[in-house]
Amino acid sequence: MTEEKKNKNNSSDDQDMMKLVDNLNRKDDVNLNRRAFLKASFGTTVAIGLATTPFGVMSAVQNDKDDSERVEIADANELAVGEAKNFSYPTEGDTAVLVRTPDDKYVAYNNKCTHLQCPVFYEHKDNVLLCPCHKGYFDVNNGHPIAGPPQRELPKILVEVKDGKVFAVGREYRHG
Amino acid sequence: MDKKRAAFLSIFVFLAVNVISLARVIEGYYGKEYSHVYPFMFAALISTALATVAFFIWKKEEYKN
Ligand code: FES
Repeated sequence: MTEEKKNKNNSSDDQDMMKLVDNLNRKDDVNLNRRAFLKASFGTTVAIGLATTPFGVMSAVQNDKDDSERVEIADANELAVGEAKNFSYPTEGDTAVLVRTPDDKYVAYNNKCTHLQCPVFYEHKDNVLLCPCHKGYFDVNNGHPIAGPPQRELPKILVEVKDGKVFAVGREYRHG
Repeated sequence: MDKKRAAFLSIFVFLAVNVISLARVIEGYYGKEYSHVYPFMFAALISTALATVAFFIWKKEEYKN
């Protein structure tokens, strides 16, 4: 009995002693983990860094598509001061409104409301762009929301008047 | 701070730069603000290049013996 107990003690002592060996390996262990950690971090850095390039390329492609189009949208004398006209730019699906403002400037915006996409109209009486769905109002001079639920500005279509015609030459999503 | 430690720590700085740049690039892309995409893309690429340099400096020091 006592003999047995002794053995038991001994064997657990041995195991404890064996565990102490780990202390010798510990420094190595830490180093190896640190190396692996740094390598993983470096790999992540490279992966994330390179992941930006596809977006850059796609931006370049889309940017070309968006800007290169120059479309005639109206005759300069077709609209009287304070009148508006609908057109599509840059594709058939992107409806837009061209306004000749009371101070005789041409401005144009895509007329999909930035709240829930109802069509926005030019309201001559108050000189604002009005979305009837939830009473959203946009400033006609810059397309920014002034009242109601919309939070973002309407995409602005850049216009150019040349030789008695009005052209759409590009589009800006965020502006001013 | 010795060279090895500086290289080691700088990789995490570059990692942070890349994470932020990628977030901005995606934001710029989907927000159709393409002019915001390029500067952050270049920032990410430069920081990736620098991280590579730092990594090799660290590797050289780490496995010197
Ligand atoms: S959709 Fe225009 S205000 Fe709601």
